[in-house]
Amino acid sequence: MKWKKSVLGVLAIGASAGLVLTGCSGGSSSGGSSAGAGSDGYKIAFIQGVAGDEFYISMQCGIEAAAKDAGATVTTQGPEKFDPTLQKPLVDSVVASKPDAILVAPTDVKAMEAPLKAAADAGIKIVLVDTTVDDPSFAVSQISSDNKGGGAAAFDAIKKAHPDGGKVLVVSVDPGISTTDARAEGFQEAVAADSKFTDLGVQYSHNEPATAAEIVTAALQKDPDIVGIFAANLFAAEGSATGVKQAGKADSVTIVGFDAGPAQVKQLKEGTVQALVAQEPATIGKDGVAQAIAALNGDKVEAKIQTGFTIITKDNVDGDAKDAVYQSKCS
Amino acid sequence: MSTVKQAEMGPETTAIETAKSQETPIRKLFKAQAFQIFLVLLVVIAIFSALAPDTFAQLSNLRLVVQNASILAVLGVGMTYVIITSGIDLSVGSVLVFSGVVSATTMRAIGGDDWGTAVVGILVSIVVGIVWGTFNGILISKAKVPPLIVTLGSLGMALGLAQIITGGVDIREVPSVLTDSIGYGNIFGAVPIISVIALVVVVIGALVLHKTKFGLYTYAVGSSEEAARRVGVKVDRHLIRIYAISGGLAGLAGILSLSQFGTTAIAGQSQTNLNVIAAVVIGGTSLFGGYGTIFGTVVGLFIPAVLQNGFVITGVQPFWQQVAVGAVLILAVYVDQVRRSSAARGGSTNFWRALVSRKKK
Repeated sequence: MKWKKSVLGVLAIGASAGLVLTGCSGGSSSGGSSAGAGSDGYKIAFIQGVAGDEFYISMQCGIEAAAKDAGATVTTQGPEKFDPTLQKPLVDSVVASKPDAILVAPTDVKAMEAPLKAAADAGIKIVLVDTTVDDPSFAVSQISSDNKGGGAAAFDAIKKAHPDGGKVLVVSVDPGISTTDARAEGFQEAVAADSKFTDLGVQYSHNEPATAAEIVTAALQKDPDIVGIFAANLFAAEGSATGVKQAGKADSVTIVGFDAGPAQVKQLKEGTVQALVAQEPATIGKDGVAQAIAALNGDKVEAKIQTGFTIITKDNVDGDAKDAVYQSKCS
Repeated sequence: MSTVKQAEMGPETTAIETAKSQETPIRKLFKAQAFQIFLVLLVVIAIFSALAPDTFAQLSNLRLVVQNASILAVLGVGMTYVIITSGIDLSVGSVLVFSGVVSATTMRAIGGDDWGTAVVGILVSIVVGIVWGTFNGILISKAKVPPLIVTLGSLGMALGLAQIITGGVDIREVPSVLTDSIGYGNIFGAVPIISVIALVVVVIGALVLHKTKFGLYTYAVGSSEEAARRVGVKVDRHLIRIYAISGGLAGLAGILSLSQFGTTAIAGQSQTNLNVIAAVVIGGTSLFGGYGTIFGTVVGLFIPAVLQNGFVITGVQPFWQQVAVGAVLILAVYVDQVRRSSAARGGSTNFWRALVSRKKK
């Protein structure tokens, strides 16, 4: 009698384990973004800086398209937040799945160096896309936008709207991210070169729109005469626009955003944001695949590639600059 | 049957277990929730091993999973003690960051890249953690502020102070002796040092909890603070010590994180507290106190870790991991509830039997 109940218990455990099993198999059919065909092609893994961000999705689209042409397969993974403590386990797991090459956007210049170097030592070709690390010598190639130039371009857009000068603020993401640091640096250098403008420094939004909004409302409380805000990334721009709106300063403050996701483009069209500096994520992804495959084939690789920008304003958003807008889903 | 053994069963079950003490150890093992969840873990591992035999089921992969779970394991030991006293510690992630920041600042001030500097850094980190834990403990036991509120407050305070000290800029000057040894070093060729440290903490934590008077008092305080007080346990002092242990382990985790990532990662660790609490609860420790094991916590940590690793390797969207872990968490608490309510009626403490008898009624 007692034994029967034990058996029942074990059976029930089996049943609950079965639930986990269905969860897995259900996931593998609907989830997992792989493209391309050819079983003898290369296996490429793409690790985003953060999942669900249009910049990285557009990059993913470029990677998948380029991989398809080359007969390679792609799997894409991204951490929930732009956070090295979340990205490291992801990188370790991807390395364990033994891809031929990894395209990765490191979330910290220092923290991601050792795990990526270990992957390179294991024979996997590493291509750094968008962001980089302190010592990228293990990577076959680094591909990113000329972020300093992008920051300077953002300042030009503010200057155009406010030729008389005034106070300007930078809303960045977190310190230590190579791309946003360079954008802020480029912007601040351009401000320093123009005596009519006063630099109010860099504030960090931690990639949270709500935090960016709080920063901007507080800054406007302190300096109501701010003329321009450079928001260094997607979420910073979203939050800055909210903050300016909350403070009722939408008429006097020019916000220049970096990146051109659907949300920014909507804000641009509504007039909340006056200009966008768009990167070319799809090109970064395409070049990344090309470099990875060149390295795998033993061909010559380019150690560093810099891609360009498109300045999007209300005037050209539906015209010349239409293709520069980021995708939220691969076509 | 020693008294310590009985305490493991929890308060309401102690009398019942004494009456049935002729049961064999094997039967008791099967009934433990920690063991049942361990079987679930084995099934998960078996499934992924079948799906990806040449990538998932490799020693090198297992090594990475263990390495990535090590920091959480250290925090999990402290959290198990806290939750057994029917408390909670939301501040562990922030205390981890704060200790790391103070330690990194100290090491930078001393300068040097040798073990002398590193040892100072390690001690500073642990001491700072203990100070935060003691602060929590005093407010909880003496000022009678609920643990949820105290540790929610210290969560914000520790993180804010860490940002004040650094100006929000991560410190990346960590002595390379730390990153080379604790962070990425191995002993016996392939065993990560960080995991060995975590294992030592886990073993000591388990021995103290299950085999000493201190552990017995912990269960007693969690079952009924008033009863513990009346039989002469110094409840206030005991609670302060428990929170100090949790804080101290968060400090140790701070130096481990510093060694592994080479940066203070101030913006990171925002969900660490919830991940650790989930692991402890999945492992069968009751949020109502008085019941739980360190072994369960370790198993509870590996379920999310293995799910994430397996999902990435098999190419499933990582978002599914959150869904799966959430389901396991709710299931674990449901099992605990059924067991508790059954025990309260004097029924069986076996979950599956309790579930069946409940349906019959």
